[in-house]
Amino acid sequence: MPTTGARSRARSIVRAGGLLLFLMLLGGCLLPPDPKTDAGQDVFNLYILVLALAALVFVGVEGFIVYAIVRYRREPGDDALPEQHHGNTKVEILWTAIPSVIVLVLFVMSVITLGSVEARADRPGVTIEVVAKQWTWDFRYPDGVEVTGSSGRPTELPLPVGEPVRLVIISEDVNHAFFVPEFLIKRDAIDMGENAAPNEIEFTVTEAGTYAGQCAEFCGVGHADMIFVVNAMPRADYDAHMAALAAGATPPPAPGEGDCPTTIQVAAVESIRFDTDSIEAPAGEDFCIELTNNDAVEHDIGIDEIGFDGENVAPGESITYLIPAMEAGDYTFYCTIHPREMVGELKVTE
Amino acid sequence: MATTTLEPQADTYRRSWVLDWLTTVDHKKIGILYIVNSFIFFFAAGILALVIRSELMVPGLQFVDIETYNQAFTMHGTIMIFLFVVPVLTGFGNYIVPLQLGAPDMAFPRINALSFWLLPLGGGLIFSGYLFGGAAAEGWTAYAPLTSERFAPGVGTDLWIIGLTLVGTASILGAVNFIATIFKMRAPGMTLFRMPIFVWTVLVTATLILLATPVLAAGLIALFIDRNYGGSFFDPSVGGNPVLWQHIFWFFGHPEVYIVVLPAMGVVSEIIPVFSRKPLFGYKAFVFATIAIGLLSFTVWAHHMFTTGQVLLPFFAFMTTLIAVPTGVKMFNWLATMWRAKITLATPMLFALGFVSMFLIGGISGVMLAQPPIDFHLQDTYFVVAHLHYVFFGGSVFGVFAAAYYWFPKMTGRMLNEPLGKVHFWLHFIGFNLTFFPMHQLGLSGMPRRIADYSPDAGWTILNLMSTVGAFMIAISVLPFLVNVIASLINGQPAGDDPWEANTLEWATSSPPPPYNFDRLPPIHSERPLFFLTHGHGHAPAAGREHDVIEEPEDDPERRGGLA
Repeated sequence: MPTTGARSRARSIVRAGGLLLFLMLLGGCLLPPDPKTDAGQDVFNLYILVLALAALVFVGVEGFIVYAIVRYRREPGDDALPEQHHGNTKVEILWTAIPSVIVLVLFVMSVITLGSVEARADRPGVTIEVVAKQWTWDFRYPDGVEVTGSSGRPTELPLPVGEPVRLVIISEDVNHAFFVPEFLIKRDAIDMGENAAPNEIEFTVTEAGTYAGQCAEFCGVGHADMIFVVNAMPRADYDAHMAALAAGATPPPAPGEGDCPTTIQVAAVESIRFDTDSIEAPAGEDFCIELTNNDAVEHDIGIDEIGFDGENVAPGESITYLIPAMEAGDYTFYCTIHPREMVGELKVTE
Repeated sequence: MATTTLEPQADTYRRSWVLDWLTTVDHKKIGILYIVNSFIFFFAAGILALVIRSELMVPGLQFVDIETYNQAFTMHGTIMIFLFVVPVLTGFGNYIVPLQLGAPDMAFPRINALSFWLLPLGGGLIFSGYLFGGAAAEGWTAYAPLTSERFAPGVGTDLWIIGLTLVGTASILGAVNFIATIFKMRAPGMTLFRMPIFVWTVLVTATLILLATPVLAAGLIALFIDRNYGGSFFDPSVGGNPVLWQHIFWFFGHPEVYIVVLPAMGVVSEIIPVFSRKPLFGYKAFVFATIAIGLLSFTVWAHHMFTTGQVLLPFFAFMTTLIAVPTGVKMFNWLATMWRAKITLATPMLFALGFVSMFLIGGISGVMLAQPPIDFHLQDTYFVVAHLHYVFFGGSVFGVFAAAYYWFPKMTGRMLNEPLGKVHFWLHFIGFNLTFFPMHQLGLSGMPRRIADYSPDAGWTILNLMSTVGAFMIAISVLPFLVNVIASLINGQPAGDDPWEANTLEWATSSPPPPYNFDRLPPIHSERPLFFLTHGHGHAPAAGREHDVIEEPEDDPERRGGLA
C-alpha cells in the first residue's frame, strides 16, 4: 500500500497543527483583557469554556480536512472509482445529536452567566447617570456633582472599588455605547423617548486603577474621540475625590495630572510637528501642559522666557509639565530637540 | 427588440454585439452580465477597503479625513454585500440553474433582464453621493437616528436609500424568477429530490429574499419619509423608536447572511463530490439542513442587538446557537464526502476547501458572539469585523471564486490556467488570514469598529499593521486571477463538454451551451444524471455538434405563450 506513508504524514501534520494551536492559546492569544470587575470575571470564565470547545471543533475539523487531502489524494492516472457512499442514517443521527447536546450545554452555561452579569444589588454603592452625546461623556453623580467632558479628551469617571456600581446609560442624541474593555462590558446609550427606560448596568470593580473606555457604537465624525477613563479608588479616596470635585467649580484634574486648574493639551505628531501652533494659558496662576508624543521620535517643550526646559518624552508616551505662574503676554513654546520645526505661540491672558 | 429568436429572420438579422448584450434575455448572457458587473463593484469596494486599511495601518490620521473614512467603510460594506456578493451568486445561479434543471431558460426572461439592469442603476445611484457633496457615511447598517435629516443632512444618504431600494427590488424580482423556474421548468425526470444541491440552495435563498427583502424595502421607504417628508418612524422625540430600525434592518439582515452563504454552500457541495469522485454524503440531510437554516434564519435577528437592552436575550441566544446544528450537519457531510475519496486538488477544489475551513472559523466565532455575556464584551469591536469577514469573505467570496474556476470552462469553452489559479488561491488564502485573523485579538482587546484612528498607547498597532499588509496581499492576489481570465479567453486550452468528470446536467451540453441549452437531454434517474450515464453506460453524452444551425426547440404553444 503506498498510502501508509501518506497516512503517517497526514497524522503528523494534524498533530503539529494541534500543537501549534495549543501553544498559541498558552501564549495568551485570543484572550480578552484580565477582568477588573466581578461581572467581567464571570464573562471571562464563560469565554474560556467556549474557547476551549471552539478549539476542539477547530482542531477536529481542520485536522480532518488536512488528513483527508493528504491521505485520500487521487494518484495521476487512477481511474478507478472509490466506493460510492451515499450516506449512513445512524452516523447522521449521531452527528446531529452530539452538536445538539453541546449547544444545549452551552446555552445553559450562557444563561447562568447572564443571570450573574445582570444581577442587581438591592442598594448599589453608587448610582451614576452616564450621559452620552456627540462626542463627549458627562457623568452625573447623586449629590449633584457632574463631570463633564470635551471631545478628544478622556472624561474622568471616578468609581469606588469593592461595592456595586450602577450606571444608568442615557443618550442625548444618536446611539452610543458605553464600553470599558477591562470590565468586559458594554451597553448601548439610546434615546428611547417614551418607549422604554434607559439601559442600566451594574458591576463591582475589584481592583483600583485607571481603565480606558470609549464609545463603541458608531456615532458620527467624532466617534473615535468619545473617550473616557475610569478612575477606580478605595472608598475613602473616592469620597475625598468626590468632595474635592463638589467643592471646586473648575474641571477636575484627570488622574496623574497633579494640581493643575488648567491643563493644555499639546501633541507632537507625525513628521516632527506640533498639532497646534498657538495655545492659551491664564495669567497669574500655575497651569499644566500635557504633551502627548504621537510622533516616531522623542520631543519635549521649552519656554525660553521663563527658563523652562521640560523632560523629553518618548514616542507613544505622554507627560504633564507643571508651568509656574506667568505674567500676561505673548511667549514662544518649542521643542528643544527640534527648535526649527516645532515652534508655537503661547498667549498668556488675564 | 427583445423577442426570442424563434422567428425565422432572427438568424439572418445581425445586431452589433453591444446592442446584443444590452437587449439580451438569454439567462446565460444575463448571468455573465451579473458576474462581470459584480466584479466591477467588487474592485471598487476593494479599493475602499484598501483606503480603510491604509488609514488604520498606524495610529494617527495619515491619508484621509474622518468624513472620507466614514464614507469609505459605509460604501465598502454596502457595495460588497448588495452589489457584489449577492448579485455575483445570483449571476452564477442565473447561468447554472436552468442548465442544471435541463431547462431552456429562466421562467421570465424579460423580468430577468430587468432585475439585472436595475443593479448598475441602483449601484450608480449609491455611488453618486460622491458627486453631490459626499456619499452616505452612517455605516452599511444605517442605524437611526444617526441617519435622520438632523444628523445626516447630506443628499448622499437619500441616494443611498433610493439606490438600495432599487437593488432590493432587483433581488425580489430575481427571487420570483428563480422560484418559478425551479418549480415549473424542470426537465422530465428531474424531481425535487434529484435536483443538484446548488439548485436547492438557490431555491431556499430565493425564498429568503422573497420574505426578507421587502421588509428592508419598507424600512428604507420609512426612513426616506422620515428624512424628507417629516415622518417620525424612528425619531424618539415625536414618539418614534430608533430601535425599530434595528429590528427592521436585522429582520432582513440576518436572513441576508444566509442569502449570501447558502448559494456558496451549494457551489461547494457541487465541487467537493466532483473532485472527490464520490456522491455528496447524505444528500437529503443536506437539503433538510438547508431548509432548517432558512427557517431558523428568521428567528435570530436580534442577536445583533444584544447590547440595546431591548430584546429577550435567552430566546435569541438559543435560536442563534441552534443554527450551529444544521450548519454542523453540512460540515460533516462535506467531510464524510472526502472520507476514503480520491481527491484532486484542482483550483475549484482548493477554493471549495478554503470555504469549508474558513467558514468554520466564522461559524465558531458566530457561536461565541451568540452568547449574550460574551457579546457584551465583543459587540461592535473588531472581533465582529473578523467574524463577519470569515463568513462573507472566508465563506461567500471563496465560494464565488470556487464557482468561477469551476464553471468558467462551461461558460467560455476554455480552461483556466491551473498554476496561476493555485498562485491566486494561496495568495488569497494567506492574505485573507493575515488580514482578518488578527482582528479577533484586536476586538478582544477592545478596539471598536468604525474608528479612523486609535491611540498609540492602546497596543493595537502591530496587529493593525499585519492586517493592512494582508489586505494589500489580497489585492495583489486578484492580479493572477485577472491575467488568468484574460489569457484564457484569448488563448485558453479548449475545455470540452465535461472537463471535470462532473455529475450534473450543465456538463451534458456543449461549452458554452447553445442559446436554447440542450439538443437532447440524458435520462434523469438520480441527482447525478451524468455520473449515471458515464459510469452506468460507459460514455459521456455530448450535445449535438450541429447546433450552430438554429434548431427550433420542441414547439409547445403553451410554453411559448408563457415566455412571450
